[in-house]
This record gives sequence, C-alpha cells and structure tokens, in this order.
Amino acid sequence: MTGFSLAVDIGGTFTDVVLRHRDGRCYVDKTLTTHGDLLEGFFRAVDLGLRRASIGPADVDDVIVHATTLVTNAVIERKGPPIGLVVTEGFRDVLAIRDEHRYDMFDPQIEFPAPLVARERIFPLAERTLADASVAKSPDDGALAALAEAVQRQGIRALAVSLLNSYRNPANERAVKRRLAELAPGLYVSLSSEVAPQIREYPRTSTTVLNAYTQPITAPYLKALAEQLVRRGFRNQPLIMLSNGGVIGVDVASRFPVRMIESGPAAGALAASYFAELMGLDRLLSFDMGGTTAKACMIQERRPLVTGLLEVDRKYRFKPGSGFPVIIPSIDMIEIGAGGGSIAGVDSLGLLKVGPRSAGSEPGPVCYGRGGTEPTVTDADVALGLIDPDRFLGGDMKLDRAAAMRALAGLAAKLGIGTEQTALGIFKIVGESMASAARAHATDRGIDYRGLPLLAFGGAGPVHAGYVAELLDSSAVIYPPLASVLSAFGTLVTPARLDLVRGALARLGGMDWADIGRLYDEMEAEGTAALVGAGTPADRVAFEFGADMRYFGQQNEVSVGLPGDPRLARDATALRETFERAYEAQYGLRLPDVDVEVVTWRLVARGPAIPARPSSLATAAPAKPKGRRRVLFSDRPSEVPVYDRPAIAPAQIIDGPAIIEERETTIVIPDGWRATVEANGTIVSRRRG
Amino acid sequence: MDGIELEILWSNLISIVSEQAKALQRIAFSPIVREAGDLATAVFDAEGRMIAQAVTGTPGHINSLAAAGRHFAEIYPPAALEPGDVLVTNDPWKSAGHFFDITVYTPVFRKGRVIAFFGSTIHHTDIGGYGVGAGARDIHEEGLWIPIAKLYEHGQKNRLLHDIIRHNVRTPDHVFGDLAAQGSSGRMGGDRLNTLCDRHGLDHVDRLAEEIIARSEAATRASIRNLRPGTFHGACTFDVPGGDLVTLKSAVTIDNRAGEIVIDFAGSSGPSPYGINVVMNYTHAYSTFAIRSCLDPDLPNNFGSLAPIKVTAPKGCILNCEYPVPVNARHVVGMYVPMPILKALYHVMPENVLAEGAGAVWTIQINGKDESGRPFTSSMFNYSGGMGARATKDGPAATCYPTGIAAVPIEVLEASMPIEFTRKELRPNSGGAGRALGGDGQTISFHMRTREPWLLNAVTSRTACAAEGLGGGADGAPGRFTVNGCKVSEARKMVMQPQDEVMLETPGGGGYGAPDAGLIRSVAE
Repeated sequence: MTGFSLAVDIGGTFTDVVLRHRDGRCYVDKTLTTHGDLLEGFFRAVDLGLRRASIGPADVDDVIVHATTLVTNAVIERKGPPIGLVVTEGFRDVLAIRDEHRYDMFDPQIEFPAPLVARERIFPLAERTLADASVAKSPDDGALAALAEAVQRQGIRALAVSLLNSYRNPANERAVKRRLAELAPGLYVSLSSEVAPQIREYPRTSTTVLNAYTQPITAPYLKALAEQLVRRGFRNQPLIMLSNGGVIGVDVASRFPVRMIESGPAAGALAASYFAELMGLDRLLSFDMGGTTAKACMIQERRPLVTGLLEVDRKYRFKPGSGFPVIIPSIDMIEIGAGGGSIAGVDSLGLLKVGPRSAGSEPGPVCYGRGGTEPTVTDADVALGLIDPDRFLGGDMKLDRAAAMRALAGLAAKLGIGTEQTALGIFKIVGESMASAARAHATDRGIDYRGLPLLAFGGAGPVHAGYVAELLDSSAVIYPPLASVLSAFGTLVTPARLDLVRGALARLGGMDWADIGRLYDEMEAEGTAALVGAGTPADRVAFEFGADMRYFGQQNEVSVGLPGDPRLARDATALRETFERAYEAQYGLRLPDVDVEVVTWRLVARGPAIPARPSSLATAAPAKPKGRRRVLFSDRPSEVPVYDRPAIAPAQIIDGPAIIEERETTIVIPDGWRATVEANGTIVSRRRG
Repeated sequence: MDGIELEILWSNLISIVSEQAKALQRIAFSPIVREAGDLATAVFDAEGRMIAQAVTGTPGHINSLAAAGRHFAEIYPPAALEPGDVLVTNDPWKSAGHFFDITVYTPVFRKGRVIAFFGSTIHHTDIGGYGVGAGARDIHEEGLWIPIAKLYEHGQKNRLLHDIIRHNVRTPDHVFGDLAAQGSSGRMGGDRLNTLCDRHGLDHVDRLAEEIIARSEAATRASIRNLRPGTFHGACTFDVPGGDLVTLKSAVTIDNRAGEIVIDFAGSSGPSPYGINVVMNYTHAYSTFAIRSCLDPDLPNNFGSLAPIKVTAPKGCILNCEYPVPVNARHVVGMYVPMPILKALYHVMPENVLAEGAGAVWTIQINGKDESGRPFTSSMFNYSGGMGARATKDGPAATCYPTGIAAVPIEVLEASMPIEFTRKELRPNSGGAGRALGGDGQTISFHMRTREPWLLNAVTSRTACAAEGLGGGADGAPGRFTVNGCKVSEARKMVMQPQDEVMLETPGGGGYGAPDAGLIRSVAE
C-alpha cells in the first residue's frame, strides 16, 4: 500500500516516528535515542513504525523528514574535532572579547563559555574590506599558501572564515575558500558571508564558528542517512528540519548545519500552526511543557513567528548572555525553567519559588521514588489529585503520593500554611511564571495576547494549560491528538523553506536600487536552487520579502515583512510606511522627522504549503466517566469525573471541573470551562458563557 | 500576605519593569543605551520608595534612580499630580550624577488616586554644553540643567520646557525620541500595573509595597548579622585623565547586632578641577551595589534592602561633590568606588570578593569631517580592560566590573563614521599572575579617513597606577594611551591630524592569591 510519508524526530531521550498516509491516518511509535550512533535508533524507530502500519520501505513514496538534536548536542558536549578560524589581521580575539558585556551585573562570579577555537588555531590574515564595500587589501597568495600549510600541519578538518565587513563584500572570503579548495582539498570551509552575512562581527563570527564546528559531524551523518535509506529500499531522499520552521535537502543542510539547531522544537511549533489551520484559527499560542522546561510560541496568521537571533549552550545558571550567539532565522520561542521536575523551595525572604533548578528525570520528582527528596511540580500535581499515581504512563510507573505529601509538608511548615495549600501554591506559581513569560514575549512583539487560544502538549502541558489560559484570558485550550510525538508529526506538515539575508546599510533618503536588486537576485538564485534540491519544482517556489529597519541613529532594528518585491516597487515611501506601522505597533510612536535606514534585507523562499487533512474518529456512543476523584483546583476541593481520552466520542461534551487521562499526560479541565471533542480527534476546551 | 500571594504579585511587578526596560533599550537612539544597556527602570510606591527594578541596567543608574523617587516626592507630592502628568529631571544631585542622564517619572492613577510611579533613567545622545568628556570647567559648561518639572501636564506637552530643550541640545530629534520612549514606557507600565490590580482585585499596592520593603530589609539585615563584626579598611589609588592621582579610602563597619553596614569614605581625595567629580547619589549607588553583590547577589534591590547600608563621605570631597564642580565624566571615579570596599570586605568574606580590575571603561568620542568634507559627530563608545580575579576563578578578559556595558561592534562604528580600526586584540599577560589570574586588557588602534584635523575626546584612567593584586596575587599591567606611539594623558578634547594613529591599551585586572607550585605544575601538564 503506497501513499505514506515518514517522519523521525531524534530528541534527547526518545526517537519518535510517525508514518502518515495520504488519507490522514497516522501510525506512531517511539524508542530510546541511541547516543552512540543516532542512526541505529533512527532505523529501529522506522522499523517499529513500518511494522505498525504493516508496510515496507517502498510504500513510503511521499516525503521522508528528519529532525534531530545532533547539532545542539555536538556543541553542548563539545564533540566536534579541532577547527580553525581565519580573521582579519589585528582582530584575532574576536571570540574571546565577545561584546565585552557582563550579562549579570550583580553576580561577580559569572562565567563565559570557552571559545570553540583555541587561540593557536585562530589565523590572522593580512587583508581588509572597508565599510563602504571597497577592498583595501586582498589576501596575497603567499599568505594563503602558508595558511593552507598550517591548517594541514595542525590536522584541522574544518575552517571558519570571518573577515571584517565581509557582510558588505564577500570577495576576500571567497578568495580564501577558492585557494584552499586547491591547496587543502577535503577541508570543510564555512564563510561568514554565506553562513550569516549580517553586520556585527562577534555574532557573525560566533555563528560561522558553530557552523564549522558541527559540519564534520553533520555532513557525514546526513550522507550516511541518505545512503542507508537507499540501501533499505526507500525511494526518496530525506528532507531535514531547520530551526526556521522549514525543511530542506541534505546538501544545503550539510553546508549549513548551524541552521539545524533547535530543529525539534521548531517542528513542534509547525505542528501547532498545522492545528491552527485545521481549526480555522489565525492566531494561537503553543504551550509545550516537559520535564525541565516549558516552551511557548506565538502562531500568527497560522504561522510561527521567526526571530533572527538565538543563543546556544548557556553555561552559567542558564542565564541569557552566557552562551554563544547564533544569528540564524529560527522559530521565536520562549523557554522558561518550569517543568514537571522543577524544584520548589522557600527563599530567604519567605517566598515560595519554583525552578529553575530541576530534578530532571534522574532522580526525578519525589513521587518517582528514585531518590528525589525535594518537592517538584509533579509532586504538587500528584498531591492535588490532578495526576493519578496509579495510572502514570498508563500505569507502567507507580507514583508514591505519600512521599510527595511528606516532602511538601516540609515546605508547608516553612511557609506556615497547609500541605495542600502549598501544593496549590506551586501549581499557581508555575502557571504565573509561564503566563508572565508569554505576556512579556507578546508585548515585546507588539502582539495582544488576550483571547489567544492555547495549544497544549508535552507531558505536563495539558495538566497546566487550563490555569495558564485563565491567567492569559485565553478563549480556548486545544489538546491535539498525537501529543506525545507532536514534533515528529510537525515535520510532516512543514513546507520546504530557506531564509536568506544580506547586510547592506541603506538610508531610505538615498537608495541604490541597482545594488539592492543585485542582492535580491543573488538570494533568489540561492533560494531557488536549494528548494529545487528539496524536491520543489522551480515554478512552485514562492518568495517573501522582508527587511530589518530602524530610524537612522538607532542601534536596533525592527524586522518587517514587505508587501511586495522591492526590486519591482522601488518605493522608499512605501518601505517607510511599512516600517513605521510595525514600529508604532510595537512602541506606540512614530518619529516623522527622522530618516529610516535598512540594515538587513531578507528573502524567504518557500515551497507549497501542505494542506491540513484531518483524520476522523469513528462515531460512537458518548463515554461515561471511568471514575471520580478528589481534586484541589482552587481553594476548595471537589469530586470530579475522570474520563479516558481514547473512549471519548466525537461531539461529546464534558463540563469542568473534569479530568481526561491519556497514556502520556492528563488533561485538566477547570471549573467554568467546557470541553468538546472534534471530529478530527482534537479536544477543545472553551470558557462556558 | 503569605509567601505564595506575595511571590505571585512581586514577580509580576518585576516582569512589568523588566518589560519596560527591554522596550526602552530597543527603541533608544542613544547607542550606549541600546548596545551597552546604560539605563534603569523601576516602580515606586505612592511615597516614592522603590519597590522593584528591572533586571537590566547599570548599578549607577539603578540605585541613583532609587534615590530620585524621594526628590520627586518632595516637590510634587501625589496630591499635586493629575492623570496625564509626567515628571522629569536631570539634576545631577537629585538623580544620576550628570546631565546626560534624564529621569522620567510617571504617576499611576487608580480610582482617582496615585498608587505608584514608574521611573526610568537613560543616557541621552546629547544635552548641549561641552558634550562628552571631562573638560568643562564648571557644571554650567556641561549643558542644560533641567530641574524637577512637569514634562507633560494632563497629557499635554509642557511647551516651554520642550522649547527650552529643543533650543539647548544638538540632536533634538533624538532627545525627544528618547524622551517620548521613556514617557510611553512609563504609561505602558502604569497600564500593566492597573491590569495586575484588576486581576487580583486590588485598589492599591500599599500593602504589597509594605510587605516587599519589610521582607527585603529583614533579609538583608539577617545576612549582615551572619558576618564578622568590626571596622575594616580598604583603599584604592588610580590615575585619571590629566595625570592626577585619586585615592579612595573606605572604612566599612559591620554592626552584626543591628544588621547594618556603614561605609565611610573619610580620607578620600578632594574635588578635581575636571568633570570627574561624583555626587553622593552615585557614590551611594556603587557602594550599595558592591555590598550587595558580595553579600548575596540574589537579594532583591529596593528601598528595604538598601536601607541597612549607610554611606557617608565628607562634604565636598570627590565622592560627595558640591555645586558648581563639573561632573560630566563622573563614571571615571564612580566606577572605582567598589574597589576599596571590596578590599575591606576581603577581611570578612574573602571567597566572595574580587581583586581590583581595570576600573572605569575607557570612553571615546570623535568629531570631524569625512573625506568629502561633511561634518560628523560620533556617539560615545567604550572599551573595557580586564576584570580582577575571583577567589577560585580567573578574571574575565576585556570585561568591566562594576559596570558591565557592552562595546559597540567595530563594523557598526565603521559603518556610521569614517573610522578605520587596525587592531582590537587582547593584551596577553596584562592580567596579574596569581592562584587565579587577572583578566587581560585589550589593544585597540584606529585612524580616521579624513583630510582635515579632527577632535578626539578619550577618557582613560589607570595608565600609571596598576590594578592591585589581592591576597598575594600580582598587579595587572597599567593601561597606555598613545598617539603615533607617544604617550598622552589629557582630560580635554585633543586636536588631531588626519594621519594620526591612536592606540588604546586598556589595563589588566589584578591576580588573586599567591600562585602555588601545584597550580604551576598543572598548567605545565
């Protein structure tokens, strides 16, 4: 039986597989991630999936998509081989000096990550490009020969090249690459003008170095994956999930592995936008809460927001600023240290604090009975009756409620209140911190979050989403099916996409349209080639135009989408209006006397959208509750009905307070909310009027 | 109020002011605000007591803003305010110590009464007068002095004040852009606070403020009570532009019964003829900062936690300067304020302090004409030396303590003016040796692409007196400021020739502890 597409998402703990038929049916499974050789787990998961669907490799004649934590892990675990960096002579320490910022003013003990390139492998090169794009000095051949010799002598396998002002003119970087290809064949070379052609030397160099560092691991991995798929009888080449919320072919992914950072979470956000489409909602907030953190992402116009900056490997107490900056387009996500394993405690001021310390999965919450002693969010959930200790993971893992209560009692004594009140406090504070983070994220982007529906997934998401929804005045909470493999599912509903940027400062008062046209022609050609490589016919490639702009004299840009192709429009007035509208939405003012400048030009090349095609549930008689239990939702306990999710029939109505259990999680419907089951298997909870 | 309700309300307050700070930082014209985070935002109770501050900002701004609340309240008590009023000042003695920092203070009304204020201080692009640098002869040469006044009344611009500002600054568009941003962020904070009150059914935040202040004060006193009592001394000597030496002396008295710390700067240098004099607010800001970062960096920062720390300095000395001395580059001395305090605290909590570092960041500003003869004025930009070593960790290179402001990227500077950098690299081994090493300074050199003479305003320090090592650690290397290879020490703007090459070598930080044989062996391995 043909008509299947295949998705595999390798996460830190599990490797998930989804096989999806054209008619909407899905077959899912998961297996433990094999960290020694990720492909072993990949194909184990694939075999499990094929068996569930009772099909063979040749039946997968639609796309094969892959998301993986490989790149992020390579950085965090410092698995990469020795790499080199070529910089402009006089600027050898760009990585060590960073931006000079001390990210926590009050803590004198802070630490910075050690650069990924040792100083002796940073090679200064006599060359110079000026800010106006003119080349003051080209690298001479002798210097390049010496560089090639040093690289080979030191056994360097990958080289990053990041020269000053190369975002304006890549000629010198290209000259280095050309010559090294002749003198040192087989060397991986990452140019900053290709990886991240944007102004600001430190983040550009940092991004290029991360690319070089992960390339010798990623490129052979992707090659082996493609080969093994062929050998096993699959018909198609794999597509790789990028952090921008698009998929691309292995060739481009192998050249730019840094773009694969965060590919798993990006796939989760894409799944959220798929459900937005399916439910006919333009905007929603995805809410994914797991063991150690919670992540949220704004879906606007049925697409996740994309940002140009992220940070990897935060070294010191997970603080922003303590990691490596990466300037690649990626799904704009909030991540806070509040998950099921987050530890609750009382600080020196007598305040109840939750997280960011986490008991993780080892030893885990106290109720896991694996040696955890400090009460966590999951312990509070068990104490409140939200999670049934006998039915966790379908009953495969018994939880110790008495132990959780004992640990909470210790905390309660410090606060001078009751044990259940303490558990309720933990539940509320976790909800508050997620809601605060979501409000800040929305306000920062000029989005009105009030009324925005939530889409809840992850092990702890459906337990807490109802309360977060109350705090955010959300109109509805959506609980999708396949919640435990949602990221893998997300890759299957992700269109091909490549984001391109070019840095070129241009005042709207005096635009060089020919220059801008050249930049866009280049980006268009690169985008088209990449998408054709990912299986999109050239005439189906669509383009979206964007620019990062600011008032002249400001230091920070606002990223805006342009209504049309600026090459055709050549309309500075329209650009200004687009910018000012976005600026006003975010900051509430316009500055009519100040000129506007473009700092970065952006182009998104994307393939056709994948239409939402719901699977439908068989109709059946409405299910009765399988039992009732005592739950503390608010300040008074109540007896609430408990349902089994698989037993619930479409169109069935369940009024809160109620609990709906599934194998991997528990849905908590608060008082005042009404849940219904849609034909596509999604549960939607809305405020009762 | 129990520990749960208070935690929820308090963390909401902090997130409101942090958002206000983030919004301001993003839209500011002043590069030092955007790239370097030189700003502060805070929320005050109806009496003008700071109850929460943003987690961004510099210590000089944050703690000076805390003191400004009281001064605003004296002139405009809540009864004298109406909805739509916005207050403003840049009075050095009532806010952050120099004219460039303008503080905007917005009352929040709920059911007809003032329940709180949102304040922000940011470093503006220009304030008229002498401009950036320490060269003015008195405060009046330094620019426009805005007393505590209404910037807006009932939502209407104060026309006269706006006109005065417009006629007295060089970049009125940017100054008004930033003032408007401060006003709108204050309004946004007020709206958010009212929404918070709606959500929790509160008519005011008096009880919340009381609780925050009381608990913060009690926690601060409790952690001071754990310290060894007594009076401990520390001193720090450094050179400033022009070559003068400045000495700061501190006697830190820990009263472990009352849970109080008193810092007395008696014996410190007298006033300087240059604009490096520090007002008491700013001295207080950096003193309380130093104590707090050693005591427990996780303690909150508000009226209550600041109360148990008392700071005094003789009237008229360089740390408690009086009208009409110039103050423009007060950070040059102000950023050294923590150092004698840390040296005193070394006797009490050696594991929490750090050795002397490079001190103040070096700041630069340039005026001139580009190759086609068009005039330009750069914004101020800055570079750090090395930080002092910590007890068990090396000092970070090219990173400043006590402030920690970022440097503007070279590419951004080159794109905005005709400057060409030839070098920006670490100075290897400029950090002092020790069990933990001092952070290295850096070497920066540049020239201008111009056909005409240009003006350089470089504010450097510690080019003669090095950062001292601590507990047997070695001193860091002093800095060097040269033009065409010749050493310079100049407090005023310098006239430069088109071909001149400027080199700045920032100082290294001091080492901590005598290097021991074991450590040397492990390095050798």
